[in-house]
Parts: sequence; C-alpha cells; structure tokens
Amino acid sequence: MLKLINGSQTLGATRAFWLPFVAVVAAMLVYPVFADAYSVGNMAYLLLWVFMAMGLCLVWGYGGILSFGQTLFFGIGGYGYGVLAINLGGESATTVLALALAILASGAVAAVLGYFMIWGRIGGVFFGIVTLSSTLVLAFFLGQTAGPEWRVGEARLNGFNGMKDMAPLNVPWFGGEPLYFEGVPLYYLVVGLLLVVYLGLRILLNSRFGHVVVAVREDPQRAELLGYDVRKYQLATFVIGSMLAGLSGVLYTSWGQFITPASVGLPAASMPIVWVAFSGRSDLTATTVGSFLVLWTFQALTVHSQQAALLLMGAMLLATVMLAPQGFVIGMVQLVRGVFAPRRRREAATAMAEEGGS
Amino acid sequence: MFAEIFSFAYQFADVFAFLILAAAGLAIVFGMMGVINMAHGEFIMCGAYVTVGLVHAGLPLVLAQALGTLAAGVVGVAVEWTIVRKLYKRPLDSLLATWGLSLIVTQGMLLIFGSSLAGIGTPQGSFSIGAYTFSTYRLVLFGCALAVLAVIYLVFMRTRFGIHARATMQNASIAQATGVRVGRVYALSFGLGAALAGFCGAMYAPTMTLMPTMGAAFLIESFVTVVVGGANVLLGTAPAGVVLAVVRTALNGWGGQIIGQIGMLLAVIVVIRLLPEGLSGWLARRTR
Amino acid sequence: MNAAAPLLRTTGLSKRFGGHTAVSEVGIDIAQGEIHCLIGPNGAGKSTLFKLVVGMHEPTAGRIEFQGRDVTGDRPFRRVQQGMSIKMQTPSVFRELPVRQNLHIALQHHVRGAELAREEDRLLELLDLARDQAKPAGALAHGQQQWLEIGMAIALRPALLLMDEPTAGLSPEETFRTGELIRELNAGGMTVLAVEHDMAFVRQIAQRVTVLHFGKVFAEGSIQEIVADPRVAEIYLGKTQ
Repeated sequence: MLKLINGSQTLGATRAFWLPFVAVVAAMLVYPVFADAYSVGNMAYLLLWVFMAMGLCLVWGYGGILSFGQTLFFGIGGYGYGVLAINLGGESATTVLALALAILASGAVAAVLGYFMIWGRIGGVFFGIVTLSSTLVLAFFLGQTAGPEWRVGEARLNGFNGMKDMAPLNVPWFGGEPLYFEGVPLYYLVVGLLLVVYLGLRILLNSRFGHVVVAVREDPQRAELLGYDVRKYQLATFVIGSMLAGLSGVLYTSWGQFITPASVGLPAASMPIVWVAFSGRSDLTATTVGSFLVLWTFQALTVHSQQAALLLMGAMLLATVMLAPQGFVIGMVQLVRGVFAPRRRREAATAMAEEGGS
Repeated sequence: MFAEIFSFAYQFADVFAFLILAAAGLAIVFGMMGVINMAHGEFIMCGAYVTVGLVHAGLPLVLAQALGTLAAGVVGVAVEWTIVRKLYKRPLDSLLATWGLSLIVTQGMLLIFGSSLAGIGTPQGSFSIGAYTFSTYRLVLFGCALAVLAVIYLVFMRTRFGIHARATMQNASIAQATGVRVGRVYALSFGLGAALAGFCGAMYAPTMTLMPTMGAAFLIESFVTVVVGGANVLLGTAPAGVVLAVVRTALNGWGGQIIGQIGMLLAVIVVIRLLPEGLSGWLARRTR
Repeated sequence: MNAAAPLLRTTGLSKRFGGHTAVSEVGIDIAQGEIHCLIGPNGAGKSTLFKLVVGMHEPTAGRIEFQGRDVTGDRPFRRVQQGMSIKMQTPSVFRELPVRQNLHIALQHHVRGAELAREEDRLLELLDLARDQAKPAGALAHGQQQWLEIGMAIALRPALLLMDEPTAGLSPEETFRTGELIRELNAGGMTVLAVEHDMAFVRQIAQRVTVLHFGKVFAEGSIQEIVADPRVAEIYLGKTQ
C-alpha cells in the first residue's frame, strides 16, 4: 500500500521531489528550536487551515465537484467541538472525544446533504449554489444566537460575539498533569496530522478509489458503464473532503478557544476556493504548498489592512481564472519543466541523428 | 377578518416583491448566457449607493433611483466586455471570476467609503386596515416588481432586441448565422441584468442600512428564485416568485426569518430534485 | 443451469420518446457464445435498443433478462458488474486522461499491482497503442479512439460485449483486424452483439443476424438467410414499409 504514495495522480515521484520534501519536513520539525513561542503558535495557526484546502482539492480538483460548503463543515466541526468540549468537561480524554465526534458530525451532515444532492442529480453550478446557500444559512443562523436562550446544554452559542471558554485539546500524560495542545505541542500535533493526511491522501488518490474518482470527474457516464456506482464515489469524496474541513474547524477552535459565525459566512466562505484555485486544484501537493503560501501572504497583509488582503484574494481569484485556470503553482511547475525538457529533447534528437546518419 | 387576510396578502406581496426584484437581473443573465453572476449583489449595492449619494447631493428620490439603475447597467456592460465575455463556454469559471470581482468590489468599497454610509429614510406614508398599519412604500415595491415583470415581458416579446435575444437563448450559433449580432445581445443582456439589479438596490436603498456588503442580503433569495424558476425568465421567474413567497411567508409566520430561509433552501433542493430544469422547464414541457 | 437458456433475452421491449416510438415490441434472444449482429436502416432503433439493454434508457414496456436474471430495473453499473460491457457509437473514452490510464481504470476491476501493469502493457500491444500510451485519449486519431474504447470494453472481461458500430471511421485494414479480434475473443468464450452497417464486416464475423426496421424486428436468421432475403434489401432501398 505504501507503494501508492507515488502514482500517476500526484505530481512528484522521483528523488528530485522526495529529497526536498524530507528536507522541508525536517525543517518543520526543528522549527520550534529556533523560533519564539509566538511564531510557533502562529505557524500552527497557519497550518491548520491546510486541511480544509486539501479537502477541497480532493472534492473539486480530483472529484470535479465544486463545493462552496467547506466553511459550513468548518463551522460544524468548530462549533461541534466547542459544544462538546464545554458539555463534556474539557478534561483530557473528553476533548479527544469531542474532536472525534465533531469531525464525525461534519461527515454526517455532509453525507445527508450530499446524498440529497447527488442522488437528486444536482451537479455543476447548482451544487455550488446549494452548498453556498447552506453555508450562508448556517452563518445567518449562528449570527442571531446571541441571546442566553441559544445554548446547547451548557454551551452558549453567543451569536456574533462567538462561542468561547471551551478547553483546548488535551490528553492524559505522564506525571499527573494532562498535556495541553497549545504552543509547541499543538504545533507538533498539527504538523504530524498534516503529514499523515497528506501521505494518506496520496495513497488514496493513487489507489483504485482515486482512479475512479478521476474517471467520474472526466465522464460520469463512461465511468458508470465501466461498472462503477458513480454516486457512491461522489458521495464518499464529498464526505471525506468535508470532514477535512471539519478537522480544520476543530483545530481552529482548540487553538484560539474561540469561534464565531464570521468563520462560516462570507467572505470566509470564499477563501478555500481562492487558495485551491490559485494553487492548482488538480494536484494535491500544488494545493498544499500553494495554500500555505497564500495563507501566509494573507496574514502578512491583514496586519496592515484586512480589506486590502481580501481585495488581493479577490484579484488573485479573478487573475487565476482569466490567466492561469490550471492554477499558478501548477503553471510554475510546468514552466520549470518546460525549461529543462527542451534541452533533453534536443539532446535526444542529436543522438538519434548521429546514430541514423550516414 | 378582512384585516387578517389583507395582512397575509401584504406579507406575501412584500416577500414576492423582494424575490422578484432581487432575482430578475440574475435570471436574465443566467437564462441568456448560463452565467451565474456572483457579483450580482454588488450591482444591487451599486444602484443603492448611487441613489443615496445623489439624494444626499440634492436630487429628488425618483430621479436618483433612475440614475442609480442606469449606473449599474453601464457598469454591467463594462464588466461583460472586459471579463464575462471571455468566459462564455465556461460556466464554472464565470462563476469564480465574478466571485473574485465581488470580493474586489466589496473590499474596495470598504477601503474607500468605510463600513457604512448615512442612509435615506423610507418615504413616509402608511395606511391602516383594522388593527394593522402598513407602510405604503412596500406596496410601491410590490408595484415595482410587477412593473419589472411587465417590462421584461415587453422587452423580450415586443422589441427587436427581444426577438434577437430569445433566438440567441435558443441557439446562439444559428442566431448568429441569421445575422443576429450575438456579442451585442450578450452585452446588452448583461447590462439589462445589471440594471435590474441596480433597480433593486435603488428601490430598497431607502429601507436599508447602506454597507458595501449589503448585496449579500439578497444573494440567497436571488439564487434560490433563479434556480427554482429555471432558465426561461419569461416562463419561470414569476411562478418561482409566487411559490417561494408562499413558502417563505408561511414559514416566516410560523417560525421566523431563519425557518423561512431554511425552508427556501429545502424548497430549492426539492425542486431541483423533481424538476431539474426548474419551473420553466416543467411548464414548457406541459404546454408543448 | 439450462444450457439452452439465452445469455440475453428481451421480451416485448418498447421505448417511446414523446410521440415517437423508437423501439416497438422487440424480442430477441442472444445465445451464449454467439456473435450476433444487429442491422437495419438508419433510425431503425438499433442504438436505442442497445441503450435499453445496458440501462441508459428506461423501457416504456417490456423485460430484459441477462444470464437468467431480470435486469430491467437495474442501473447500468450493476449490469456491467454482472457481465455486460459496451462500446458506444461515438467514441466514449476519458479524453483528458492518458491512454494508459484509460485502460487502467477498466482493468482495475480484475487485476491489481504488478499484474495490472502487465495487463496494461499487453492491451497496449494488442491495440497497437503502446507508442501513444502517454497521450491524452482525446488526442488520438478517431480509429485509435475506437480501438481504445474496444480495449476498455474487453478489459472488463465481459460475458456479453455490446458494440455500437465498432468499425465506423476505420480503414478496411483496421476493419478486418477488428473482425479478427472479435472472432478471437469469441473463440475464448465471449458473446458479442454488434450493431453494424458494414455488410462485409457483418459477413466476416456474424453467426446470426437480426434486422430492425422502424423499431421492430423485421427479420432474423443466419447471415446466409438474411443476405438471401429480398425483403431485407428492399427496406434498405426504401421501397416498402
């Protein structure tokens, strides 16, 4: 199964890819040794959004399903964690339970919503509209829950003020005190999860499942006539991608012990689309790297002006569609390859001419 | 008794007006070109801002509203010419491009104008029936919605542009082969759609707080109405408005705004499931 | 299992589109192991019948039995899983995906890993597509795309192979090779049902022939009987109803 980490569905299979990959991972692992506590916490913050991007890459890039619902599931995951963590007490194993249940909740909602849309033959732009509308409805609903009567058990939803006071993720640890996932431990947790999810998705995409997903994207009728139940594959893809968004939501809420409807509605709902479209949705690595770069840029700009940062995001989306529909990161990879390939072809042509001529 | 009935009818008319005015522009663009204009809310905002700006500058309300509508239409033609035109065979890409544009415009407006602009009051005027008092302006809005439907009908059925437009909607390449300037039809249609959006903004401006993000308040309703109505504006938008207004009014009365919105969302899912081409597709089939 | 039971049987199969009846009360039997051709003038309903058999259309009336089971209500993927495979009239391959990956997707039903790669190589050789295996399928010549689709269809190792005009757009040499391939597959146990216009090709491969006309079965028999039947020639020339 590990052989499937490399395959035709994902870019980068040779040593030219994996050596730099190992170097980057090594750098990420030693980063906390050199960086201050704030930077480490900030890096964990930037990285936790990448799961949502990878999920959208799976659903949209590989599955061909344009879902605007990533922040819907982000919200379900985040608010779900908050509600569960507050109600279950927030000690050790209960937060892990909260994490698991919140992600499952986003998966369950995705399964129901996806079932109605996919079995109802809703596709294309309409799928996008229904997922966007669902997202906006949730955001609107959460926005008007400010009153004290809006609570789930002990957890107040709190409208636009946001839900807070939930415990961060923690697990029982040696020596009595639980290990709280904040700061450096959270950073390592996020990096670890990223590695697992990234490699796991590579294996999934290069497996039988991944090939069918791509076939369904390209020609659903042909895929069905090759004996695949197209609807089941589309639903599975949608649920997995949505659960990854839920994971981002849980980690976000744990990171800041805080979540608001602003994470669900506009303009937040546009962000995953921008990251993934700009990076190049058709490849997992391009999306992962590109999304991180866009997130980092966005944060750097937001410090000065959030409006300017969001304006840039809009401009990037527009520029991508008009100039590089396959994504800028992928475009750059192709450019780099193009620089090397003509030289190889020239060399091959010369060799052939030398052999054949007389 | 009469007062209760009138009150319900009034609420229905209010929701119906909102749906029609919000959706008409989007329906034309979608029906004509298959483009989902995600910047639709921004054309609404444009109409509203121009109207309010002109009123603050001293113009009478009605004139300001007319100019607000016109401004949105002009901007629409410009947007079509620079962006949308290049993306006709790519419906998902035009959706994304207009979404990018929407972000640029709302954030740009926030940077330039700040988060809110001083509004203008709703024109005074109310009347009572029984124990209820109703605002006259909202009846004006209902009248405007009916007027919009009438105008669309007249334009598409009685003008030369309308004939060309309907031909293009049916089959653009054949229309072009018979001499219809398809590019111009598209540009004018998009402009018309943008103008109708601007008209919506201009008419609702006196009733709302002005914010650069105000377009978002119309998004769900306009999308839902267009999807339920289907691609044929003439046949689908009005029935969709009626059906959804009934659903919304009933649910609003029963559970409040949020139940109303969820109800609309469910209505969309059900309609797409049963009638994939919306009401207009279903009606067209029945009348064949 | 009754050895004489047909592999595929349709009974009273009809399909109406609005006012137009494309297929009317069609009953055919395809025996296990035979090569059966479906011929008839344009508009006779042959492609519609195919789509009914594989499940792309729902019949207005009638029944379809495959391997003794009633599959009338089954979705296409289920029928394919049970042993049908179809090559469509217009080449239906994954145009943006490389040729090799097209075959991979069809082959992965039955094989995995290293054996899958070997099967891909074998098919590429058989289809004469080894040189073009990295090209997107849409970049192939029309004839090559036909062959690719045939390759994908047979990669499923079906019990019944349906081919809608397998030789359309092929050169005479390619046509002959297609015929030889079909006979080889049939010798290995595959039942073939093909819609065809090319009478030379029909003569090369067919054991039994059914003639459709205006959506109905007009004649049925061995290839010699059909060729000798004057009424069949007439419907092609358009003389009678």
